[in-house]
Amino acid sequence: MAQYTAPRKPGLGPGFWQVTIAMTILNAIASYFIANLDIDKYLPEAADPASDIDALFKFLSVVGNAIFVYVVGYIVYFCIVWRRRASDGPDAIGIQIHDNPRLELWWTIIPAILMVIVAFFSVRIWINLQNTIGDVLTMESIGHQFKYEFRYPRLKQSVYDDMHLPAGTPVTLHVTSADVIHSFWVPEVRLKADMVPGLVQTLRFTPEKIGTYRIICTEFCGRNHGNMVATLHIDSQQDFGRWLSRQFKAQGQGSGPIALASGQATAGQALFGQKCSTCHSVGAFDQKIVGPGLGHLLDDPTHPNLVTGEKPTPADIAHVLVNGYQGPDNSQGKSGPSIGVMPNRQANALSNSDIANLTAYIVSLSQTK
Amino acid sequence: MAVAAAHPAISGHEDHIHPEPESFVAKYIFSIDAKVIGVQYMITGLLFFIISGLLAEVVRIQLLRPEGGFVSNDTYNGVYSLHASGMIWMTIIPLVTGGFGNYVMPLQIGARDVAFPWLNLVSFWLFPVAGVILMGSFIVGAPEAGWTEYPPISLQGPPGTSLWCVAIFLIGISSTLTGINFLVTIMKMRAPGMTFTRMPLFCWAQLATAMLNMVATTALAGALLALFLERQFNVPFYDPGRGGSPLLWQHMFWFYSHPAVYIMILPAFGIVSEIFPTFARKPIFGYKMIAFSSIAIALLGFMVWAHHMFTSGMAPWLQLPFMILTMVIAVPTGIKIFSWMATLWGGKIEFHPAMLFAIGFLVTFSFGGITGVFLSAVPVDLHEHGTYFVVAHIHYVLFGGSMFGIFAGVYYWWPKITGRMMSNKLGVWHFWTTFLSFNVTFLPMHWLGLEGMPRRVAQYRPEFQFWNDVASAGSFVLAASTLILIYNMATSLLRGKKAPANPWGARTLEWTISSPPPYYNFKTIPAVLKNPYDFGEPLPYLGIDPQVDEFGNPPAGQSARPAHV
Repeated sequence: MAQYTAPRKPGLGPGFWQVTIAMTILNAIASYFIANLDIDKYLPEAADPASDIDALFKFLSVVGNAIFVYVVGYIVYFCIVWRRRASDGPDAIGIQIHDNPRLELWWTIIPAILMVIVAFFSVRIWINLQNTIGDVLTMESIGHQFKYEFRYPRLKQSVYDDMHLPAGTPVTLHVTSADVIHSFWVPEVRLKADMVPGLVQTLRFTPEKIGTYRIICTEFCGRNHGNMVATLHIDSQQDFGRWLSRQFKAQGQGSGPIALASGQATAGQALFGQKCSTCHSVGAFDQKIVGPGLGHLLDDPTHPNLVTGEKPTPADIAHVLVNGYQGPDNSQGKSGPSIGVMPNRQANALSNSDIANLTAYIVSLSQTK
Repeated sequence: MAVAAAHPAISGHEDHIHPEPESFVAKYIFSIDAKVIGVQYMITGLLFFIISGLLAEVVRIQLLRPEGGFVSNDTYNGVYSLHASGMIWMTIIPLVTGGFGNYVMPLQIGARDVAFPWLNLVSFWLFPVAGVILMGSFIVGAPEAGWTEYPPISLQGPPGTSLWCVAIFLIGISSTLTGINFLVTIMKMRAPGMTFTRMPLFCWAQLATAMLNMVATTALAGALLALFLERQFNVPFYDPGRGGSPLLWQHMFWFYSHPAVYIMILPAFGIVSEIFPTFARKPIFGYKMIAFSSIAIALLGFMVWAHHMFTSGMAPWLQLPFMILTMVIAVPTGIKIFSWMATLWGGKIEFHPAMLFAIGFLVTFSFGGITGVFLSAVPVDLHEHGTYFVVAHIHYVLFGGSMFGIFAGVYYWWPKITGRMMSNKLGVWHFWTTFLSFNVTFLPMHWLGLEGMPRRVAQYRPEFQFWNDVASAGSFVLAASTLILIYNMATSLLRGKKAPANPWGARTLEWTISSPPPYYNFKTIPAVLKNPYDFGEPLPYLGIDPQVDEFGNPPAGQSARPAHV
């Protein structure tokens, strides 16, 4: 073992302050560039909180960059200055110090203060995000494997794949899911919320820059997770109004009253073979394929309450065909076991007469014993 | 055993040193010797490191092109899920606790074995069984929802998802048992004179890790059991359609998996805390603060799990305490990093491969720590969560942190374990190729994530192709660099120079005995008189404790002192 050498005061080492000053200058330059970086050029700041969030990101980058430069700079500098040299004997040892309470106190206090500052700015931006700017447009988005559904307050039917928002109008977006966990992320808005089945989350933002952006799923949701995208169109107020009235008209044609009485059971049977039989048998209710068997829907006393909690009527069958089924309708204080999820009429491409025919067929199944 | 028989004082204490088993099976397969078990852990861990690493290469090949197509989407999802599960549960955790913990910790505290050797045997054998079940899930359809397996998608997953539950449950039991074992060993079996303030920092790290393993893993076990019951027997814990809660899983999962990050990194902290003083020829700077900060990190680690869930759905006000507590962890972590830097200062630094990896660890782990602060800030996390930014961050922490620590530990303790020296030249090549290709692989992922590439996708937008190709190219070099390590190990075993007892001139107890150590570790339990890292001390670190006989047993008539097995 090495000979004991008396402690000596070595100073900080050659060039310590020069290196420190060099790193400080480097950090000042880097901070200047980070602070003046136009993130909008790389990823547009298309909605209201985006520039706030980018400001926080820049602040964190300045702090993080400074810490990293000092840490790595000193490591490299120490490795050069305090390396073992050819002239050192095999027993050469370093400066035998164990600690320096004052130094250790400082490198506890300074990072702690730094973290308080970081937390302070983070909380400030966080508070901005919580502000309800005024619920001008409140709408919903529902995640499905593997597409996005959008519900607008004035449209009776949902819109898929394309979301339109008017620039300058604060949006309150409620998101949830019909099946597994998805996520609603628009990188250009810098906001994200998971779409969790059975839970509604709220995102608030004000679209600003007219353009088309991506809505991306960031929670793994199955085989086509990588292709689960939708488009966000931020329109001018006029364009948005035009789009909305086009939707309104288009839906008006398909959403008139359904004439259930005119349904043809035979036409319904053919349609059932094309559209329903993948998931539904015509056996008893518990003969499930994906969804329940539909052979005795009206008179099987054992089947769970479907829609109203009472015996289904033809109108209830039509209701499910129109709206699909997302689990028991707990909103009306009723509950029941889950019997799966069924897509709505848009997803199944059912016209009014299709619905009438299918209803007639399903009713006829219950009547033939 | 010859030594025992020759010693008259041993009568009545034969149970304290067992004779070395003769048969191959008892010696190398179902051994109760912590050193053999440690080596078993290391070999098995290395095997799973290679398997999981190859799975990562499949991921990188798939991502060479935006449209993918190297494997089907389903296979791809299974591949990355098992890459992560294999690396976390079958490679890093077993290597840092079961591997280095079993081999080095009893030697460093001057014990002949761990407190419960048979329990240790059980802990180890659960590991290969769990590993085979995990990788075997490929046969019936591998789990596809990532290593986090969030329900409800994991409820729909292929049959292998249930096997995944079983495998992780078993490795969890193994971790818990090892945690109990190590905790008792460190509390009760330290050599005379080894007070807590004289204990090597690697053992402090193992102590903190053992506490985490004991407490946190039980939460995961509960969550896994519930997932298994729901998948196999339809008991609705997580399905919201039947009154379950998907967030229940996330809370229980992260209540384990955040501490698990520290289970993986604290032992690596311990490893580099041994290496810095040895190769800088200096006492570790701020011993007490490093030891204390390990415990602080372990305790704080239990209070931050929901920072993985800022977008998952929680009361908004609840985000604030989790954000602030997460930022608080940066302080003890910073103390460690500054203390290691101060250990370099004024040293006589020798750039042995172990030291290079320790220094590389300091650089890459600092970077990962800093991006961790980005992710802890809720507003920024709302953008970065679930993207390649997170993928980059965890690889900087787990590869740049834990794996670099493991590599450093391999170079450091290899002569002790095998009795052979490794080639320094190859080690230096291994370090530089790994360090550079690691950064080429994972640095661009930060940018990809910020630009809008989500994680766990088999296809991506064409404009992301360039940086994905760079990352893939880096990962191929990274894989090749591991071959240098394996080649180095193989040639060292075949024709390496014989290792002396203490090739690095280190002062901890494992270096006072031959390489490899004898079956019973210490013929005489040493007494510890001084601190472990005082290279300049005139007084010897070790002496013979007058209170114990040559075999560590109290002289007849005295009450037994804290255990020497």
